[in-house]
Amino acid sequence: MNVASLSRISTVRLLLVYGVLFVLWSVLLIGWVQYDTMRYLSGVVDEILRQRAHYLTHIDRARLPDAVAQTAALDLRGVMAYGLFDAQGRKISGNLAEPPADVPSDGVVRFLPGGMHMEGSSEPIRARGVAVKMNTGEVLVLARATSVIDAVRTIIHRSLVWGLSLTLIPGLIGGIWLARGPLRRIRELENAAQPIRRGDLHRRLPVSARRDELDMLASIVNSMLEEIERLMSEVKGVCDSIAHDLRTPLTRLRTQLHRMHREAGADSAHGPLVEQAIMDVDALLDRFRALLRISELEDMHRRAGFTNVDLVATLDHVREIYAPLAEDKHIAFAFEIGPEIAPVHGDPHLLLEAMSNIVDNAIKFTPSNGRIQIRLGNDVHTAGAPAGVRIDVIDSGPGIRTSERGAVLQRFYRGTCSSKDVSGSGLGLSIVAAIVKLHGFRLEIVDNPAGGAWLALLCRRE
Amino acid sequence: MARVLIIEDDRVTADEIGAELQRYGLDTEWCGDGTSGLERARGGDYDAITLDRMLPGMDGLTLVTRLREFGVQTPVLMISALSDADERVRGLRAGGDDYLTKPFNPEEMAARIEVLLRRNTHRPMKLRVEDLELDLMDRQARRDGEVLDLLPTEFKLLEFLMRHTGRVLTRTMIFEAVWGYHFDPGTNVIEVHIGRLRRKLDPPGREQLIHTVRGVGYVLERR
Repeated sequence: MNVASLSRISTVRLLLVYGVLFVLWSVLLIGWVQYDTMRYLSGVVDEILRQRAHYLTHIDRARLPDAVAQTAALDLRGVMAYGLFDAQGRKISGNLAEPPADVPSDGVVRFLPGGMHMEGSSEPIRARGVAVKMNTGEVLVLARATSVIDAVRTIIHRSLVWGLSLTLIPGLIGGIWLARGPLRRIRELENAAQPIRRGDLHRRLPVSARRDELDMLASIVNSMLEEIERLMSEVKGVCDSIAHDLRTPLTRLRTQLHRMHREAGADSAHGPLVEQAIMDVDALLDRFRALLRISELEDMHRRAGFTNVDLVATLDHVREIYAPLAEDKHIAFAFEIGPEIAPVHGDPHLLLEAMSNIVDNAIKFTPSNGRIQIRLGNDVHTAGAPAGVRIDVIDSGPGIRTSERGAVLQRFYRGTCSSKDVSGSGLGLSIVAAIVKLHGFRLEIVDNPAGGAWLALLCRRE
Repeated sequence: MARVLIIEDDRVTADEIGAELQRYGLDTEWCGDGTSGLERARGGDYDAITLDRMLPGMDGLTLVTRLREFGVQTPVLMISALSDADERVRGLRAGGDDYLTKPFNPEEMAARIEVLLRRNTHRPMKLRVEDLELDLMDRQARRDGEVLDLLPTEFKLLEFLMRHTGRVLTRTMIFEAVWGYHFDPGTNVIEVHIGRLRRKLDPPGREQLIHTVRGVGYVLERR
């Protein structure tokens, strides 16, 4: 389970959005509480400072140094500091070591940027303070450490962090745990959808007894599949019955033409015409036969006839059948058989039919003095283990354009490169495609830098 | 005259089969359903039977199975709209001798019946047509005493043609008999193989023995 796939689960997403909103709201709330508390505490401190300053500035000048020293001595917690300094900043009395820097002597309480320096302490202490200029030119300074305010701030911050972590961490763990279920279900659905994607429309997605939203979705997809399957079989049924229904009248037509030809004689005026008509009807019947053959292959679901097929032997037969054709066209017909070819599970007759169609096509489209290469070898996967067997048929014909590659495997498609003198129903590769699909193998049209067509039959289960 | 029983529920198809077979000098009888077809096939002493796979009363498969159970060995050509390889195997296993898919070429049907009719005659180990001789024991072909250099496939092809001398053999029949496969081998596979055999068999100046029957197939005979 990786982060990317987790973040796509709606439960996790919802949780994340809620998490972010919760953090924002908590920060805002605690921020306001902190601001208000700080303001209040600063106000209290400022009031104390103002009162003490008021008192000290209104007592007799002669008593002032003693009063300052006594007041300082009264503060046992060490949070208050007092200092009376002459015009040159020299200390006259109090527990402040020096006047605070950069603070105007205007009687206004403010935060001391440089802190306060108490006697006996080397480090400045964060503090608020006030400086008052006396009539005598001396300066009275009062300061109070903000340690209480700071401690309250820390408490507020800590409570925010603890609060957030105690809510967010269990929330996230819970979210991941909740998301595992749907993820597992989706994986199940994905596995169930694999054969459907490959065209096995009889399969359905699993629906559990929970009837949750995934089940609802699976049910919708299942009913769609049912409809698609029904429509497909209807279309196929129409195609098949047209082919079926036309076969009988065509057969009769052929018989009658044949009879006419026989009775009139080949030398009669209509002889050649009738002969041509018979040939045309034969071509039509061939097409129907091929169409119905594809239909049969597409209907085959059983694999009862499957056995271990030795493809070396299959290719030997192909060579025996087709080598004379290649030779007649002066085409170099080269076979490269790799070592230790594992047998594949399939129907030997159908695989030979598929190979025959591929090779027949190659011979048809390769011009005289061309070259056809047929390679048989183990198909090595990335892991290095043989994943199956592959057969490559490479010719030096016009090749198959990238834009036509999907279409050549469909019924009746003939490439734009096919010339008029190339006979055929345009169904050869469709038959191959149907056989390949029945076996669960794959037929690939490979890019051939040399230009000709390159077909690869990958004999391994998808 | 050989008698052929046509068991076929479609009258038009039956007429076509009958007309074609009569053209080859065969006597034909027609029967339109499975049950009476079985009765006639059992008692009629026919030389061959064409049998539709789908029939009212009793289907073709059951019929041929029952017929064989009764010990009747009349050769049966099964004719069916089902061309699935498994269907063919089922038909032949049930006791059919050959299998033809609809739509069929009438000449092909007749050619197959002729082959079936001759099947019962003994199989000689030496075949002879004029000065062409095929010795199946030492796997040699001679023409006018001269040994012909034939490849194994060419030998099988010649054997098939010579076993049915004077009979027209269609391309599909040849492909099935010589290579043992039941699909359309495409374009001109048989033509090319016959052409090569012909060049070895009938060099220029010699009388030609293999003849092409346009639109149908080939025949080996002296004309």
